This record gives sequence, structure tokens and C-alpha cells, in this order.
Amino acid sequence: MSELKCIGIDIGSLATKIVLMSNGDMVDWRLNRSTYDFKRVGRDLFDDILTKNNLSRSEVYVMSTGYGRNTIDFADDRITEISAHARGVQFFYPEARSVIDIGGQDSKAILISRKNGNVIDFQMNDKCAAGTGRFLEVMAHALEIPIDEIGSLALESNKPASISSTCTVFAESEVISLFAQGSLKKDIAAGIHKSIAKRVASMAKRIGVEPLLVFTGGVAKNIAVKKYLEKELDFEIFQPEYPQLTGAIGAALIAKDKNAN
Amino acid sequence: MDNIELLESYNSYLQEQKANGKKIIAYLTHDNVPIELFEAAGFVPLPLIFAGKDELMDASHSYLPPSTCSYAQSCIGYFSSTPRTHEFLDLADYILLSNHCVSNICVSEILSNNFNRKRLDFYVSYTRNSNALKYYKLELKHLQKEIEGITKERIPDHRIKEEIIRHNNFKTIVEQVSKLNIPGSEKLDIYQKAILYGPAIQAEIEEIISSYKSNTKNTNSTHPKNVIFTGCSIFINDYLMDLIEDAGGNIVLFDTWIGRNYYSQTFSEEVIASLNDPIDLLTKRFENNVYGDHCVPDSLDNKIVFLENYVNEYHKKYGDKIGVINHIIKFCDHFSLFQSYFKEKLQERGVQVLNLERDYSRSIKGQLSTRIEAFMEMI
Repeated sequence: MSELKCIGIDIGSLATKIVLMSNGDMVDWRLNRSTYDFKRVGRDLFDDILTKNNLSRSEVYVMSTGYGRNTIDFADDRITEISAHARGVQFFYPEARSVIDIGGQDSKAILISRKNGNVIDFQMNDKCAAGTGRFLEVMAHALEIPIDEIGSLALESNKPASISSTCTVFAESEVISLFAQGSLKKDIAAGIHKSIAKRVASMAKRIGVEPLLVFTGGVAKNIAVKKYLEKELDFEIFQPEYPQLTGAIGAALIAKDKNAN
Repeated sequence: MDNIELLESYNSYLQEQKANGKKIIAYLTHDNVPIELFEAAGFVPLPLIFAGKDELMDASHSYLPPSTCSYAQSCIGYFSSTPRTHEFLDLADYILLSNHCVSNICVSEILSNNFNRKRLDFYVSYTRNSNALKYYKLELKHLQKEIEGITKERIPDHRIKEEIIRHNNFKTIVEQVSKLNIPGSEKLDIYQKAILYGPAIQAEIEEIISSYKSNTKNTNSTHPKNVIFTGCSIFINDYLMDLIEDAGGNIVLFDTWIGRNYYSQTFSEEVIASLNDPIDLLTKRFENNVYGDHCVPDSLDNKIVFLENYVNEYHKKYGDKIGVINHIIKFCDHFSLFQSYFKEKLQERGVQVLNLERDYSRSIKGQLSTRIEAFMEMI
């Protein structure tokens, strides 16, 4: 009998990710903008991954996760992104003890048990956008540079500007004001990254994150956030090859675990 | 979903009381308000135990900044929002100002100054030493005089004592609800209604308890993740209870003012018989209230020990490990300030804790739901 194939689908506020796993390996994946219509984007990605892999609905077990997990009516079960990321990082780093996940509108710190790999504590930002991908987007817009370039620009700075506001709206005004005072873009960009790292690290310290810490979510692709987080936490942190897919991979692995029991 | 039926029937009840010439005293709830005094004087106590909403909070911003406790904002919103969501509050003649927290004082002052409600003051000490007890007693006497000044009649001691006994019996009955094997949401509905109406609905509460006792339905299979709920109370028409149950949670103990802090404020018959002066009885209750959230220096540590014991006893009895949800209304000075200490101390004792800080806006429902579901997955 062939092994049941598992699909994890992570509906984030900005991006929807889907992975197909078989025999504990990632076979295929997709990623697209979530738009306002989570359900349709999820359905399209699901249909596409099934078609491309010559699979029918009955051959896969589907676990949804992420902000829009409840909108996926074709899922067999659902799991929060907190459990999914904790499980997903263990796929890449079995020794992982902590996770920092920064997505489009949320940032989370997760502590994993040494004994059994289960989540033992977590912290999550509240509705404030500071310390999230959205914050970076707003700041990139204020600096008039593409979001993909803001991280590398920040790394060119030796003198990060001081951004004292933690609120996105006030920080944006502060950035414009720094601009007006003649501060360099790269220094402002560095200040922005430092500000995110300070905020997220402070949240993570509240639950006592420790090495080995894995950085996941879309913002983990930003090398400057990683660098400043390492400075704030004072230890090395790791990024998986596909940080954005961690939640979907975790959901698929939880689906597999569930079906094995 | 809003419990429209409860609000409508409460509106009719207040209208009826008003038509009978009764005066209504609104108050921000806490466990040291001597509502027996109000009832002995023929007043109707109106606890402000209604949950907030975006519209209510927005409507308060002409009076309070958004960085004030969300419950306080909502209380002002009850009176200032258009259209009004709780019109029966117009029936309140008086507002009791007490110092349970800064918000309590701010809200009562604003309501009295801007919404034409006469103010009665009742300050309470946070300690339980001999001077604090003397002060509480003086405040009770002062409040009694203020009320007598309104009615132009002395409140006879025997009337106050009758009310103390009536409330005492009622709370003993309400306590039975905590032992019923029913979903938390059903317990909460009973507590909220009991606190709203008080002993006036004792027969109804007894009937509800009796019908539950005769129904042997086991709820554990549908709600496998049992939790204790502590911190700020869940007020009427709050969506939070739905989020907890939708996440597969079931509250087995409400360690909040709407719950244990209310029904545990009782005396034994011996104590009632031993103290003739009803003011001494009320003072004794204040003295005994060492679990109250504003009893210093030890209330938080007492609470931690109580919760640890409850969790261990529950584990022994049912074999289940239960977690604790610590509910913090955003900008609530008291619960916000101590949340880290509270969580850390319980975690040291092996109890899992979710500090659930939130305001009443609809936009945070998704994040709240994620936190609650993740906590349920964790336990």
C-alpha cells in the first residue's frame, strides 16, 4: 500500500503557501499572494499541485494552517501556525529549541520542548503592525525602495539611524523626518531593521528563547533582520532554505503524524 | 452572538422597578461593593457587566484616550454611543464611584459630570490591617448616611441584615453552578444573569440548577481541553467565550469576579449569628476577602497557590492536566502589570498559562483565536 500523501496549506495574510509531502520528503510546493480572496487562491494552488502530480483529492490528506486556515473548506483538519512552525522547523533542524516567525501581519516566538518537540510556550504580537512584514513594507515605501532591496541596503550602513517609535504610523513619520534632516537611506534602513529586531527580540526573550533558534516566515529572507536579531539575542540564528514554507511543511508533517497514530 | 433576550428582559425588569418608584444605582463591579445596603434602602443595584465593542470604545474618545482600559472606554460608550446599545442604562439615577482601579474612578466621574448621574462615593482600602478595617467600616457608614439622605429614612439594621442573609443564601446557591458538569459557556450565562438580577431570580437559578442535575449528559467528550479562566471577567455579550469553545476549550472554573470571587464572598451561619451589627458583618466579609484581586500584599500569591492546588486536585480527580487562561483587558493597570510574574510563578509550578491580552475590537478576533487554539494544542 502506498503511503498517504500529505498536503500542508498555509494561508498567511500576505502569501499562501502549499507543500506536498510524501515519505517525509517535500515533493512539490507553490506560493502565491493571498489577495482578499484566501479561499480562491488556496483552491487554485491546491488544484494545481494535485494536477501537476497526477493526484486525486482522495489520495491526499490536507491540513490547513495560518491566518486563513478556517477558510479552507477542502482541508481535512486545521492547526495553528504556531504548532505548524514548531513542527516545520524540526524538519530542517531536528535540534531546534526556539522559533521566531515573522510574517505579513504577525510575529511570533515559540519555545519547543527538549523532551518531545512539542510547543511549551509562545508569544505573539497583538494587532499592532510593528515588528511584522507589514512594517517593513510601509518603511520600504517611505524610503522609495523595493522591499526586496531594503535588507541589503541596511547592511551597507555603519551608523544605523535611531528610530524611537515602535508604532508603524509614528515610525513612518520619523523616517520621513530623518530623510528631511539629510540622513542617508542606508542608515535609515539599518535603523528600521534594528527597530524590528529590538521589538521581536524583546518579545522572544519574554519566553526565554534559546539556541538552536530558527527564523521562519517571509521576513526571514531579509538578511538584515537576521543580523540585527542575532545582535539583540547574542547568539547565532538559523534560517531554513525555504523560510516561507515552514508553516506549510509543519502542517503536512502534523497531518502525517496524525495519520500514523 | 449577542444575548438580546437577556438585555430585553433586563430592560423590562428595570422599567418595572422604576415604575414602582425604585431608584437605580449603577456601579462598576467589584467584590467590595455593599449592594446589600442599596437593596435594604429599596434601591436597585445595576452592575455594569456588559462587554465592549468597537462602536462603544470609539464613542468614548471624547472623554477618555484610547490608551485607557477598554472596559472603561466601553462603559462610557454605553452612555455616549449613538444609536444607544444599552438604553436601559438611562434608567440609572446614581453612579457609585469606587477606587477599585483608576478606570473605576475616571468612569464614575465622567458619568456623573457629563451624563447627569448623581454620584455616591465609596473608597476602599487595599490592605486588611486594623486601620483598613476601621476605614472600610467608616466608608460603609458614610455610604449608608448618603443613601439615607436621599430616601430621608433611616435604614433599619434588621433590613440590612436580612439583605445580607438573602444575598448570602443566593451566593451559596450560585456556587452550586461551579460544580455542575456543564459547558463553561452555560455556567457563565448563569453567573452573569445571577449577578445582574441578584436574589430576585433565586427561584429561577434553583430551577436551572435542578434541571441540570437531573440531566446526566456528559460534556467532557465534546470539550476535551479543560481550562481555568482567571483575570478580567467575561462580560455579557463578549465573543471571547465562543472563541474558547470553538477552539475545543472548556472553562471548568471562572476564577474571576463573575464567578468565584462573587459566590465565594459568603459567611457561615455562625458568623452571621455572632455579629449583630450588619456593618460589622459587611466589614468581616471585606476582611475575609483575601483572594480579591485588589487585596495587598498577598492576593496575587494567594491566587497562584490556589490555582496550583486546583490544577493538582483536578489532575488527581480526573487525570486531566488543565491550563490557565489569564484574561487581560488592554490597559487594565492591575492585570497587565502582574501578568509576567503571574505566568512565571505558575509555570515554575508546572502549570501552563496563556496571558490573553486584548481589547474589544472585532479586528483582533483572528489573532485571539490563533492564540487560544495554539494554547489548546499545547495542553
